[in-house]
Order: sequence, then structure tokens, then C-alpha cells
Amino acid sequence: MEQNNSLTPFPQGLASPPGAMTPVMPIFSPTMRYNTGLTPQPVQNTNSLSLLEEQQRQQQQQQQQQQATPQLYHSQVSTTTALPGNTPVHTTPLTPMTPITPATPASESSGILPQLQNIVSTVNLGCKLDLKTIALRARNAEYNPKRFAAVIMRIREPRTTALIFSSGKMVCTGAKSEVQSRLAARKYARVVQKLGFPAKFLDFKIQNMVGSCDVKFPIRLEGLVLTHQQFSSYEPELFPGLIYRMIKPRIVLLIFVSGKVVLTGAKVRAEIYEAFENIYPILKGFRKTT
Amino acid sequence: ILKTSRQINSLPKVQCPNHPDAILVEDYRAGDMICPECGLVVGDRVIDVGSEWRTFTNEKATNDPSRVGDAQNPLLNGGDLSTMISKGTGAASFDEFGNSKYQNRRTMSSADRAMLNAFKEITTMSDRINLPRNIIDRTNNLFKQVYEQKSLKGRSNDAIASACLYIACRQEGVPRTFKEICAVSRISKKEIGRCFKLILKALETSVDLITTGDFMSRFCSNLGLPKQVQMAATYIARKAVELDLVPGRSPISVAAAAIYMASQASAEKKTQKEIGDIAGVADVTIRQSYRLIYPRAADLFPPDFKFDTPVDKLPQL
Repeated sequence: MEQNNSLTPFPQGLASPPGAMTPVMPIFSPTMRYNTGLTPQPVQNTNSLSLLEEQQRQQQQQQQQQQATPQLYHSQVSTTTALPGNTPVHTTPLTPMTPITPATPASESSGILPQLQNIVSTVNLGCKLDLKTIALRARNAEYNPKRFAAVIMRIREPRTTALIFSSGKMVCTGAKSEVQSRLAARKYARVVQKLGFPAKFLDFKIQNMVGSCDVKFPIRLEGLVLTHQQFSSYEPELFPGLIYRMIKPRIVLLIFVSGKVVLTGAKVRAEIYEAFENIYPILKGFRKTT
Repeated sequence: ILKTSRQINSLPKVQCPNHPDAILVEDYRAGDMICPECGLVVGDRVIDVGSEWRTFTNEKATNDPSRVGDAQNPLLNGGDLSTMISKGTGAASFDEFGNSKYQNRRTMSSADRAMLNAFKEITTMSDRINLPRNIIDRTNNLFKQVYEQKSLKGRSNDAIASACLYIACRQEGVPRTFKEICAVSRISKKEIGRCFKLILKALETSVDLITTGDFMSRFCSNLGLPKQVQMAATYIARKAVELDLVPGRSPISVAAAAIYMASQASAEKKTQKEIGDIAGVADVTIRQSYRLIYPRAADLFPPDFKFDTPVDKLPQL
């Protein structure tokens, strides 16, 4: 219930929350203040900079994520916000009720879930920026134009780093989940906005996701490179791990003798999971027997 | 259509008048075409495209009139038949300042200029590490294939040449480490590694994995170790890999550690620094790999090895 209460100042007068520069589209109509049994609508992708709603969305999605089975994912664009205590009339497409991809009966799933370690995303703030003023006035910002043409800013809450360019484009790295990446990008945009620039939040896109996991047994890399020659590259002189370039989800996997696997190059979480499910039976075939 | 075939048949064909079907044998020494059936000399004064032969009559004469030029290399240069005017001899070819009158010696074959340059570079690099002619030829062929494909056009030609040299050594079964190729090339190991992967993808080939035994003979002879120690080191390294004592270690490091163990057990003891210098491995790396194989040292030595220092007296690092 507290989520509803905290939302009340927002739809009350339909006034823009302080600090937002663009006219705000109301996410929840005033009639949804109390549990009316209306089906939850997919949240529109707004360009407003209300951190409050962003954090609430993040909390709800975190709850959903914990419930989600590994075969499910939610894309970064549309999410459903399930109001607590409000059972939906019909299941919305992405509720974690049944798995979407059926597990093949011949091979059981690996039971291991790759953990996301890093998300790189970009966003366009939509206005030219003066990097010198940003570097001088913002905290935790470094700017060395002779070395690199962008301001490097860091925040502590989702521990992330952002590269802010004078064209208004920004790269946000270091977040551990898609939601955190978006939240962190919003925080940086808020910082820039507070410094006086008319910052917007256009075209947020996740460019790269990195995940890692452990198969818990040692792997014979020499065998793997012999059989999967067209995908693998194993040069112990250059790098101790085997570089496997999977084609079906276009993912690069770094496979090490210890059994640790790093997956990178994904645009959505599902690609990482799918790639790992593809490689796991292959790795089981090259398990070291001693 | 009948007309054209008749035209082709009417072209003059060199053949023996008595045996028109016999394939003529070329005698390059005399420049003759001889019929193998009856021995009749059919054609003569055939131009010899091989390298010029030497005349020993007058060693001092620098311009030998029987020379027709350098050996043609049709595989690599694309059959270039252009000629050029050489530098003049004699006094008339120089004008008043001492410059030669006819200067146009450049612009021979601009299309293949870069390729010729690269071949020269490959030969220079190979000479520094005494590589045999077959590896140089293979490298030239690889470079030609990569150059014609143009997929690596942006990369420095020297980097591609170094990577081709590395691949050729690997394909011939005598791999050289990246560091050894770096030592004779001006390109960094990182760039050679990058070009190596790109070339393998461009030519759609693959190379065999390196093993510890590939480097033993070279490292041991550079260190001056006797054959017994070399054989022992080969055996130790192979056994260590079989018993999986050194998972994930580069074969070069394992080989270096095996050489260290074998040399320390023999009369010719070499320090880690010396071995590291020859193998291109840091001595801490040798120390790490040695620590991994030391516990099973007794199992790793070949059964017929003559110990100068017994196994329990081997240095423990």
C-alpha cells in the first residue's frame, strides 16, 4: 500500500514533479489510487527525469526478477508493474507464470545461472554540454582533455562510471543489472541537469552485457579446440582461455581450464542464458576425468 | 564454330615431323626441343627462363653478356615481363655534375611494389633466425594469398608478414614462439597476435596446438645442454602434461621448467635466469611451473636417466 501512497503527490494535480523539464505523462490515472481491480498497464517509456518513480520501478522489478525462472527475461522496454494485492484479471504476457521456452526432455537444464557482471549502456542527453563546467562543479568527476575528450564521472549507489561527451551522449558502465544501469544513467542525467543544462533522456539502449559462471569441473580445452575448430581459438601464448565465438546467439565465451566461463556480447539477458545452455552439454563432454 | 576450330588447328605447333604425337623434351642446357622417339632436334634457340648460368672464363668482368636477368618467380609476382634501363657504365652516361644522365630507375611494378617489399622483409627476418627456404616460400605464399584477398588491407604489411612467418613455421611443424618472431621483427607481440588471428579467419585455415616437445631441441641446443638432458627434459614435460600437473600453463613455461629440472639433475646446471632468457619466459614463471612439477619429480624423470644430483637434492623454490 505504501507504494500507492507515495505516488499520490504525482497524479494529484497532474503537475510536473519539481525538476522535470518536459511535460509529464501520468503513468497512473487518479482513479488508480486505490485498488480498483484494473489490470496493470505496461509502463510507457518516458523521457522525464523523475528519479522517484524510477527507483520504485526498480524495486518492483527486483521483486519480479527474484520470482522469475531462469528461462524468462524481461526486455528493457516494457515491464508490467503489478500492484501489490491486486491479482490481474488476465495474465499479461510477461508474468512469470509458465516458462516460455519449453525445456527439451532429452537434456535437462544445467541448473547453473550465469550472473551478470557488467552492463554497458548509452543514452543521449539531447543537448550540447560544456565539459569544463561539469568537471569543475560536479563531484567525483575527472576531465583530462589531453588524454580523453570526455568527463569521467562516478557514483556510488549503483556503483557505476559514466563517460559524458560534449555532444551530449553518455556511456554508463559497471552496473550489474539492466534496471540498475537505467537508474544510474538517470542519476547521471540528473546531475547534469542540476548543473544547468537542459538534459533529456533519449534513446537509452543497453549495448553490451557480460555474465560469468562456473561449471564446477575442469575442462579439456585441447579437445574442445580440436572438435570445434571453426568456432574456437585457443592460443596459450596469447591468452590462457579458449575464445569460443557462438553463432546462434552471437555471443563470445571465454572458457578456462578451471571451469569458469565468461559470456559477453549480449544485448539482452536471454542471449547470455541461451548461450550458456548451448555450451553446457558441450563442456560436459570435455570434462577432465582425473 | 567450325571456322574457329580450323583456325586453332592451323596455328604452328612445334612437333617432330616423324612423330607428330610425341611430346617434345626440352633440353634447357643447349636450348633444344628433342623428340623422345627418334632423337631429332626439332626446335632450337629456345629462351631459357631459368636463372642465368655462370661463366668462369673471366671472373673480373662484371657484366657477363650471357646473362639474361634474374630467375623468374611466376608464382609470386604474377608473370611480370616488363624491362627497365639499367644504370649506364662508361663515361658518356654521366653529365657534368656526376649525376647519371638516365635516371628513371624507379616505378618498375607499382602494383607489386608492396608485395616485393614484404618479400624482402620476410627474407630478412627469416635470415636472422636461420629459417630454411621451404618456410620462406610458404610464408611468401601465405602473404600473397592474404594480400590478394585484401581483407587485412588496413594492417601494416610488416605485421602481416610477421604473422605469416609465424603461421608458416607452425604449419611446417617447427613452431616459433611469438617472442622469437618479435625478436626479429619491429612489430609488437600484440599486433602480431591480432594479425595472426585475422589471417587464420581470412584464409579459413587452422593450425595445430603447440606442444612442449616442439621447442625442446632449440632451447636445449641454445643453452648448450647435451642430448641426454634434452631427452630427459622432453620426457619430463610430456609426462607433466599427461599427468595434468600444470593445468592452464603455457607449454613454453612448462618446457622451460622441465629443462630447468633436467639440467639441475644433470652435470650441466643452468639457472632460471639463463633458461628464461632463451625461452622468453620470466624466471618467476619458471619458478611457478617448477613448483607445480616438483612434488612428482621422481615420476617425471625417464627410467634410464643418469642422475648427477639425485631427485631429493633438487633445488626447492
